[in-house]
Amino acid sequence: MYLERIIIKFGGESGQGINTVGRMLTQSINRLGLYTFSSREYPSLIKGGVASYQIDISNKEIFTSAKKYHVLCCMSEKSLHSYLPSILENGIVIYDGEELEFSPDEEIELQKKNIHIIYLDSEKIALENGATKIMANAVLLGFIWKILKQDLEILIEEVLEMLSDKKIDEEAEKKCLLAGYNNPQYRNDFSISIDLPKPLQTNRKLLITSNEAISLGALTAGMRIFCGYPMTPATSISKFLGDTAHETKIVFKQAENEITAALMVMGSMYMGTRAMTATSGGGFDLMIETISCCGITETPFVVVLAQRIGAGTGVPTWTGTGDINTAVKGGHGDFPRCVISVSDAQSSFTMIQKAFNIADKYQLPVIVLSEKQIAEAIYSIDKLPTAEKIERGLQKGEKRYEITDSGISPRWIPQKGLKPYISTSDEHTEDGKSTENAEEIKAMSEKRERKLEMLKSELPEPKLYGSSSAQVVFVGYGSSKNALLDTKQHRDDIAYLHYDYIFPLKTETLMKLAEEGKRLILIENNQGGQFGKLITEECAYQFKEKLLKYNGRSFSLEDILDYLDN
Amino acid sequence: MALDIKDYNSPYQPTWCPGCGNFGIHMALKKALIELNISPTETFITFDIGCNGNGADTVGTYAFKSLHGRSIAVAIGAHIANRKFTTIATIGDGGCFHEGLDHIVNAIKSNYDITILIHNNQNFALTTGQATVTTPQGKKMYALPEGKPERDIDINTFLMSLKPSFFAKGYSGDLVQLTDIIKKAIKHKGCSVIDISQLCPTYNRECTPEWFNENIIKLDTLEKYSSSSIEDAKNIIEEMSKTKKIYTGIIYANDSIPTFYNRLESRKGILSELSEEVKEYNIKELLKYCN
Repeated sequence: MYLERIIIKFGGESGQGINTVGRMLTQSINRLGLYTFSSREYPSLIKGGVASYQIDISNKEIFTSAKKYHVLCCMSEKSLHSYLPSILENGIVIYDGEELEFSPDEEIELQKKNIHIIYLDSEKIALENGATKIMANAVLLGFIWKILKQDLEILIEEVLEMLSDKKIDEEAEKKCLLAGYNNPQYRNDFSISIDLPKPLQTNRKLLITSNEAISLGALTAGMRIFCGYPMTPATSISKFLGDTAHETKIVFKQAENEITAALMVMGSMYMGTRAMTATSGGGFDLMIETISCCGITETPFVVVLAQRIGAGTGVPTWTGTGDINTAVKGGHGDFPRCVISVSDAQSSFTMIQKAFNIADKYQLPVIVLSEKQIAEAIYSIDKLPTAEKIERGLQKGEKRYEITDSGISPRWIPQKGLKPYISTSDEHTEDGKSTENAEEIKAMSEKRERKLEMLKSELPEPKLYGSSSAQVVFVGYGSSKNALLDTKQHRDDIAYLHYDYIFPLKTETLMKLAEEGKRLILIENNQGGQFGKLITEECAYQFKEKLLKYNGRSFSLEDILDYLDN
Repeated sequence: MALDIKDYNSPYQPTWCPGCGNFGIHMALKKALIELNISPTETFITFDIGCNGNGADTVGTYAFKSLHGRSIAVAIGAHIANRKFTTIATIGDGGCFHEGLDHIVNAIKSNYDITILIHNNQNFALTTGQATVTTPQGKKMYALPEGKPERDIDINTFLMSLKPSFFAKGYSGDLVQLTDIIKKAIKHKGCSVIDISQLCPTYNRECTPEWFNENIIKLDTLEKYSSSSIEDAKNIIEEMSKTKKIYTGIIYANDSIPTFYNRLESRKGILSELSEEVKEYNIKELLKYCN
């Protein structure tokens, strides 16, 4: 059912090393000039449970994980039983251990689907080959590489290159790869259905997570301070920025909590540098008073809100988009803001730069939404987009909060010799003095609101993917784009209207499509259809059809195809 | 040209009650800055919410009046962005020890090179006199006709337990001494904390100027006291716990503790400030760290 796509899934307990073997295989396949999409599922614990690393392989760019797989390689019994039901016909199961028993139901399924089962005790084989336990991965890699019918030399070269900075016994590593590749359990009839698509290019792809792309985009935009507090799935942004600080020379600060992280960003931005924080829903809630303060003081602010599913603690390592409401509406008082949603690695890189420009130019908080599914997925791309030009809109003036037609007042970076000013969270006059005067309160509030009108007029309309003649048009944002783009490879009779900018909201294109009588389907990874309601609020349009998913899993192309077929 | 107090004033007058300790604290702060010859355009002051925060309109420096309990964290962010500014965080005892307690703990621990003035009037005054942790147990306060039920926190012991690199106590009624303390705090390389006993003639009527005069002992009148001796500091803190007397002056100062910024390997040898470094960064060399 999958066009030009081969899927390999690793299963095991957290801490068993499936990420390492998954990453090595991804990189080796990538070396062939093929595209991959790798995604990890894992429980919120350090050791144990059931975790997976799935690699989807194609000769075209792909953006989602398929629900089923050709090869399943498991390191724990529990993961094998839990992932077995979704293996494709003629698939291959590799179990890293001694022979085990299947339930009668499983036996029937295995027979019916003609599944090959191989027991490959990789640790034992590694030790037999004079290697250490830690090299057991190489045995599995070698075996899978044989199933994929690829040149062993390429794998050896790639693996050794990846391990070059670690002090390992290269000969032993090679022996393990070889032992896996030449394992006698391989049979020619295994891989009838497992033909890797032919690469259309030979260039090596860049493997990158969206969190890495966001970090790189922020650095490109001149971000010099990152303050954060750990919270999945935003945490790997702080890892990348902290681990590279020796090279970028930024200040990386793990603050005592999200409240402090946000306040430090506000203080840093007031002082004229570019700073950022990143968190998930719960941490974002703690930042909201600061975001409101940035609103009234017109202090630029950038936060990445990497969403996971659920209220409270929710399900920490699973995906969703239930924080649209809090991003767009959280915070006391009327104040303008901008909410952006990223959808993949490239968009993460570009949109975070735009976020800084908007924050600076319009002097307001910008919330950049991501999702677990986007944040931690490993995309293979040809290259990152070109850098956005840095625009700060700085301008000297007499009155920091001067009432202007555009709503944008002069803002200059505090500097010796320049006129000092106060930013106060009290409502204030043009020169920043607190006020309780009725006219002044109204005028200043309206001034700020005008910035939003101007911002809205400068934002682009959402982008329509697919033919304008398509009758079925999905409407969404974030990771929905990925599922729709993958689906479009199967169905060219659908289109997708994609929103990068969630707020302020542009609805002209949408209304035009509605007037043309298109079948518009809202697609969202939350229960309430929060974005759909936002659209209704903006232009009174009400979606008749909604495809909503709120079980912690992102949309797959199967979800879309099933929806269209039913 | 020598600086004048007027250079530090905005066109606006304070709104505090007559006799409020904030007058003295603001005057001492401005005098300290002038005497150190620091220009108002190189000074950044953060304000909290409460009576101290209402002084924000009256200063002619770069300033930020943030949210309740939050002035220290805002000051830290600004300080890291540009260390050329003299950064002062002002906060009341309510904001400091209730709403934003974590900020002073971590500011001291990180040893940022900023000065924190705690305007300690032993109550939430702007909301008309509620009890704070510094209000004595049993004292009748707003909505507590039977008296405050909780014990009070011994903030001297608490602050010293955090091992500050600079801790001083001042009094809003002693302008000369307070000015001197603030000057030393600003000059100190690291996080300087000054707990300032502040007159509040409206909601802390017991603590009159006479009361303070009777209960304050200046450290420099003691025969042997060295602010560089941690033993002396510990003894005097214990003495204050026991006797409830207030010892004013520099309790403890240690210049040998590195500041947060100076500990950062990533900033070693860099002369520019982060506020001067916003430009396009070429990420080519970073791609190898991906995935």
